Amino acid sequence: MERRAFLVSSGLAGAALAVPGVAGAAEPDDAGLVRQALSRLAVDTFSGLAVFVMPGPDLYSRVQGTPRPEPGGIEARAPQFLVEHLNRYLPFPDRLAVPIMRALMQGAGGLALPSPRDDAPGGVLGRVDAGLRRLLENDATVPLAPVVALLLNLEAVRVAPLAVAGPFLSPFARLRYARKARVFELLEGPDPTLVSLFDRHLPEPLKGSVSGLLKFLAGALLELTALGAYSEWAVFDPDTRRLRGRPVGWQVSGYTPSIDGWDEHKGYYQGRKQVTG
Amino acid sequence: MRDVIVVGAGGGGPVVAKELAAFGLDVLLLEAGPHYTDPRASWTHYENDANNPLTGFLRFGPSDRDKPAWLREEPQNSYVLQLAGVGGTTQHYYGNSPRAYRGLFAGYDGPDKDAYDTEHAFPFPYEELVPYYEWVEATLPVQTAAMGTKETVFFRGAEQLGIPVQTTKDTLRDSYRPQENAILQPGGTAGLTTDPARLRYPQATGCTYCGFCLEGCMEPIKAPRNQFAKRSTDNSYVPMALTASAWSREGRDVTLIPDAFVLKVHTERRGGRTVATGVTWRDTRTGERHREDAEVVVLAGGATETPRLWLGSGLPDPNGWVGRGYTDHFLDGVTGLFDEETGSSKGPSSAARCDFPGRGALEQLGLPPAMQAFTMALSDSGIRGRYTNGRGMQGPWDGRAGRVLGPELKDAMRNGIDNLVNILILTGDDVQARNRVVLSAFPPDEHGAVAKVIMNGRARTRRTVDNREFLARKATELLRKAGARRVYRYDWAPLLLHVHSSMRMGHSPDDSVLNADAESRWVGNLYVADNSALPNALGGPNPTLTTQALATRTAEKILTKHFGGTPWVRTGTPTPSTDPRISQAL
Repeated sequence: MERRAFLVSSGLAGAALAVPGVAGAAEPDDAGLVRQALSRLAVDTFSGLAVFVMPGPDLYSRVQGTPRPEPGGIEARAPQFLVEHLNRYLPFPDRLAVPIMRALMQGAGGLALPSPRDDAPGGVLGRVDAGLRRLLENDATVPLAPVVALLLNLEAVRVAPLAVAGPFLSPFARLRYARKARVFELLEGPDPTLVSLFDRHLPEPLKGSVSGLLKFLAGALLELTALGAYSEWAVFDPDTRRLRGRPVGWQVSGYTPSIDGWDEHKGYYQGRKQVTG
Repeated sequence: MRDVIVVGAGGGGPVVAKELAAFGLDVLLLEAGPHYTDPRASWTHYENDANNPLTGFLRFGPSDRDKPAWLREEPQNSYVLQLAGVGGTTQHYYGNSPRAYRGLFAGYDGPDKDAYDTEHAFPFPYEELVPYYEWVEATLPVQTAAMGTKETVFFRGAEQLGIPVQTTKDTLRDSYRPQENAILQPGGTAGLTTDPARLRYPQATGCTYCGFCLEGCMEPIKAPRNQFAKRSTDNSYVPMALTASAWSREGRDVTLIPDAFVLKVHTERRGGRTVATGVTWRDTRTGERHREDAEVVVLAGGATETPRLWLGSGLPDPNGWVGRGYTDHFLDGVTGLFDEETGSSKGPSSAARCDFPGRGALEQLGLPPAMQAFTMALSDSGIRGRYTNGRGMQGPWDGRAGRVLGPELKDAMRNGIDNLVNILILTGDDVQARNRVVLSAFPPDEHGAVAKVIMNGRARTRRTVDNREFLARKATELLRKAGARRVYRYDWAPLLLHVHSSMRMGHSPDDSVLNADAESRWVGNLYVADNSALPNALGGPNPTLTTQALATRTAEKILTKHFGGTPWVRTGTPTPSTDPRISQAL
């Protein structure tokens, strides 16, 4: 029951249901199904985060309650920015992701998650459970982005149990702005319930570092999202090192660089060009 | 067997390398990160491409940008902004080169002496360092900054603070001034046009006002490397080190090896004493290991990596002060929203400042949009209007301190990037043993146990906290007087870009790692020449100039003690790093 609550509240079960072909026969271990579900869930959760930092005209911003006419985090491809950076560019993410995922699975009971009302159709819940267990037992590499997404979603249903169902795959993305802020308040706090869960279920040396890790993670997620969303990343072509369009951050802030120089030299204060002594 | 191995080509290491190479010593300079020899071919002026801490070309990581960055464990809400690569963190600094406050030096007896952390003072008087300041100021060179629109706005506010304008290099009282910057001032068409065709060297010289100090300087177009405007060490000391034979009669060119991550400092017992004998490094592209020996080893990997290397090498730490006393200026930021054009994203990123000896300093800070958003999203006070993390200070700024995020961030950015004025608060912070670098218990990377940076932003001394609050109020007052319609204060979480004193020199063997010559107390022939050697945070002034002055002094100590040389700074004439012989030899 606790595991089912974890799979539903984290959004993983719902994400699995959205995987094409899920209605087919169960695979021997269903790890592939879980991988696809994790990947979809990460993008959806980070869409909720992108508009939290930079709202725009999209559906996520509307559900959050802060729609804006100008382009925002979705148009700036901030969700993809976060997925790519968390998965690919952090040092040894799997050494963090796997133990955190295991701890969340094992300790979900302590989070007092809402009980799922019905089993998912077609035995999908069982397939996801088996697939996830197999994934972790095999010591396979688990990317970090979906693990962070699971964490945000579990905190989301702790803040607002009704977020377990609704539009989007991600409970976090279903929250209003104030509730998302509450999720970050818990993480920055850091949430004592989560800390005790991790303390019980994480191996050393992560056990002693988890409180600091949560504080760091909460801050870094917000700051990295702001950096990526207001940057040129979405329209930068690394091959030509040119932009394919005008970055959203530039549109919003009225920024237009002059690549090699500006006509901004206004002379010297009080005419003083040098000092001594 | 080399004469000297210098570990790290950031702000301090190349200074030692260049000075000793001028006297013909055989110097090997090792750098963990890449060497960008043709920035125009490798860089752009785009923020994410340059400054993304995980993927940017100015990051702490290997030269292959498809590989992950190198990890530092941060067990708190904080952000270590540290670079690898030739030039180190000076690649994205703003060139600010103020001298330290006198109150942080031995023997200071001014009426405000109680305002300073004299317990952790420099082990020699301020006057001892002045000739070295002058030497570095002439070498870089350091010049008085020109004005753009944002400086005129800043000075308008500063004029009304009731403090005088400073017209000397030494800072003696509360005052404001144009920065003394390690930036070549605009000449020819520089600063007067946006037309790239007219921004080529030598028609344009010095700073072209491009606004990209943070992204690494490559202006003017076609300028020789040693004529690039910003005097980061990749543009100043490193070119000098590589061409020492061209500009110094006795000179011998330094051997520079980039992509060489030093894993271990070797020692042996000699005459009843432990002495350094050399290092082993790893080629970060091939994984091959190399060992090289030298008479003297100089560590200059920065305030985070130097203690990591020390501890990772198993070098002695009998008093427990290796890695301790990490100071960071307890940085904070305020931003004013203006109705007028301020040109915040244009020109040298920081060309004006106020100093408050005994308290710290303010400096104006221009930013492009992504870094602007990043700095507004960083706080230890939670999200403004939603939660405060038990802080959320109130004062003359609007509302509580905290992260400006979501709709409010967008509104602030929509005010116009060029209608903002940012002020950086550099707090005179006390040395505290609890703030430190240790080896992380996380899995080691290919270079051994990684650094864990413990920086408790909430357990500062009373004096440090009071200083920061004083400066936040002054900064807000300045912005209001300049005409700001709205002012945000952030209460930043530790933003670790001015970091110092983690391998501090000091008077007392009880709480310092280095003696007054910057030589290790416990390992002979081993010196430290980066910010970590500073005994304190200088009272708030930006550290690079003082680190470089101290590194020059350290080079002099090394030459006289180990190689039979004589001191040169008080008697010699420095060669400027812009010397045409260097341009020609490059």
